[in-house]
Amino acid sequence: MSTTTGKAAESAKVQAGPGTVKSPAAGPKGSRSRRKPSLGMQNMAGWLFSTPFLVLFLVFMAVPIIATLVMSFTDFGLRNVTHPLDANFIGFENYTKLFSDEKFLKSLFNTAYFVVIGVPLTIFLGLIVAVLLNNGIDRARTFFRVGFYAPVVTTIVAVAVVWRFVLDPSDGLVAGLFSEVGLTAPDFLGSEKLAMPSMIAMAVWRNVGTVMVLFIAGLQAIPTEVREAARLDGASIWQEFRGITIPLLRPTMLYATVITTIGYLNVFEEPFVMTQGGPSDSTLTVSLNMYREGFNFFHMGYASAMAYVLFVVIMGITVLQLRLLKDNTK
Amino acid sequence: MPRIARTASTGIGIAVVLALGLTACGSSGGDDVAADKKQTLTVWAMGAEGEKLADVAKVYEKANPNVTVKVTPVGWDVAHQKLVSAAAAGSMPDVAQMGGSYMGEFSELGVLEPVDTKTFQEKDFFPAGWKQGEVDGQAYGVPWYVDTRVLYYRTDLAEKAGITKAPTNWKEMQDLATAYQKKAGTKWGLSIQPSGLDTVQNFYSFLYSAGGEIVNDKGDVVIDSPAAVKALKEYGSYFSKGLSNKSVQPGYDVVKDFGNGRVPMFFGGPWHVTLLNEGQPQLKGKWAVANVPTDKSSVSMAGGSSLVISKDSEHKAAATQFIKYLTDTKGQADWYKRTKDLPANTAAWTSGDLANDADLQIFKKQMDTAKSSPSLSNWTEVTDKVDQAIAKVTQGKASAEDALKTAQSQIEGLVK
Repeated sequence: MSTTTGKAAESAKVQAGPGTVKSPAAGPKGSRSRRKPSLGMQNMAGWLFSTPFLVLFLVFMAVPIIATLVMSFTDFGLRNVTHPLDANFIGFENYTKLFSDEKFLKSLFNTAYFVVIGVPLTIFLGLIVAVLLNNGIDRARTFFRVGFYAPVVTTIVAVAVVWRFVLDPSDGLVAGLFSEVGLTAPDFLGSEKLAMPSMIAMAVWRNVGTVMVLFIAGLQAIPTEVREAARLDGASIWQEFRGITIPLLRPTMLYATVITTIGYLNVFEEPFVMTQGGPSDSTLTVSLNMYREGFNFFHMGYASAMAYVLFVVIMGITVLQLRLLKDNTK
Repeated sequence: MPRIARTASTGIGIAVVLALGLTACGSSGGDDVAADKKQTLTVWAMGAEGEKLADVAKVYEKANPNVTVKVTPVGWDVAHQKLVSAAAAGSMPDVAQMGGSYMGEFSELGVLEPVDTKTFQEKDFFPAGWKQGEVDGQAYGVPWYVDTRVLYYRTDLAEKAGITKAPTNWKEMQDLATAYQKKAGTKWGLSIQPSGLDTVQNFYSFLYSAGGEIVNDKGDVVIDSPAAVKALKEYGSYFSKGLSNKSVQPGYDVVKDFGNGRVPMFFGGPWHVTLLNEGQPQLKGKWAVANVPTDKSSVSMAGGSSLVISKDSEHKAAATQFIKYLTDTKGQADWYKRTKDLPANTAAWTSGDLANDADLQIFKKQMDTAKSSPSLSNWTEVTDKVDQAIAKVTQGKASAEDALKTAQSQIEGLVK
């Protein structure tokens, strides 16, 4: 279960990577036309070829998704692990309980805070870095690109070790810098005010690379003719950026914003490895709360309801973003 | 974002458990194979024990040629989930090691075979060790090894601070902590956990020594008792006086700071002896262990592991024989040599290092009075509430009385 998350994350990364879809080259004209198989046969073949995927999808995605939904209406607890049929249907009780559960509301607030601050920061920094690298010297570009992308592919455990060293209040990197100038460093992870910003800093650092790669791909897709035309008309760098780069990057920006938001709404790893939700639940996110309810306390029904609430929230926000940010000129 | 959608993965986890559970319809007791027939025993053991048990199994196989023992080492970090999944799927190993905190849960799941009390007798083991394997007065696990927490302190720094003997009561402990800081120039006086998961494990030495507990033998919640309040006040005072660090990160390892003198005192388990000897060799002769300082008495927490037999096992007779081999006097002494785990069987303490080593005697004395936690299936949730109460006090957010009152009402809702 939890041990597979690494692999799954890897594959998620692969999917999240910018896919370069090559349009198939047009076949040579006048090739001999073969007799097409009948439509029914074609359909059959299609289904047959997708069977392996469909079976896997049903077993590992569809069934769990439905099972979770069913469970969210039951009082499924520890005992039901061996006696699942003894679980009782309790209607919407889990859902109503959620909204009077202070811990859950706090985790909802924390997650919102994380998204509201984290997403714009990630997108903005990713864009800045991409623009700078796009105009930089070739050799330096590769070096920096690797540098910015490294955190994305680094395992969270290693990241945690590094960040603990950075944030350690007594002999950490930041503490060292503070003492150089005669100040005492704040205790980042131990203070309720600073713990969440520290998590955000970590997450931004880990994800800027992804956004940067997307933007670089977007920037390189902007035709040079457009830029040249602007320059001939005497546009300043700023005008070029505002009038060409930003509008033409819109689709990329939309995509980057949506996936970053989904990722941040699901934020789990940073608080899990750094603070375990502390101090006093100030970094408890919805995912972490769900994990603890489900796997530490075995309130499986309750945790399932939480999963579905999170799903609805993510769905709603994504739809909203697509509506608001869509390029209306098309 | 390169992140797994945790929502889905939790769902998958739950569904797998559910799907597996559906296939494990009821448990048939199974026909038991006689102990001397040819058979294979499957055994799961965790962490360091899992690695060392295979060697013992080889020795056992030589003496019992008909029995093949297949040991599967399981990491502690995944042990709980693996066992739960196995319970759900009805594929529990014949024999499994279980931490004391697991017992309540797994007896609730109905996958454990009661201990054969003709073969294993309570009087042979430390009371706290035996109690750990019990749920509602019924024994399900045979104690394999025990552990407890004692006080580790730096003798060289204590001398520098003008103190030459181990602290015996709360006042002396706090005096020593203060002297360390003031006179020996250490950063902290005592390392105790301020907040986060399992803070309660540090708090037990205070709580039990004051005569308090979380849930008493009758099953009543008593975390707001005057004794508990007194213990939490004492615990909190280390933070309000700046003797202990208010912010300790999850997974903090005290050994390094003990070595560099930043932390001159902490509560540790028997494994810290090995960690200090191997990891901080320069400290040799500069530290000592002492019994938990007393308030009313000196009582520490008991931990350790038991060995359980699965209800569905078809090799119960052979499993019993194997557990007997591991938990009798000879097996326990041999196990200590291999792992430095403290024997749960008291008779193993009558010879060799276990009888003569002064440090080990401190552990033994602590073990005689140590208390184990009640085996409640939702104990993790109960201690989580206590963790939160402790955090409120160490962070200066609430008084000990108020924090424990809140914990009392929360836990009463959990323990019916």
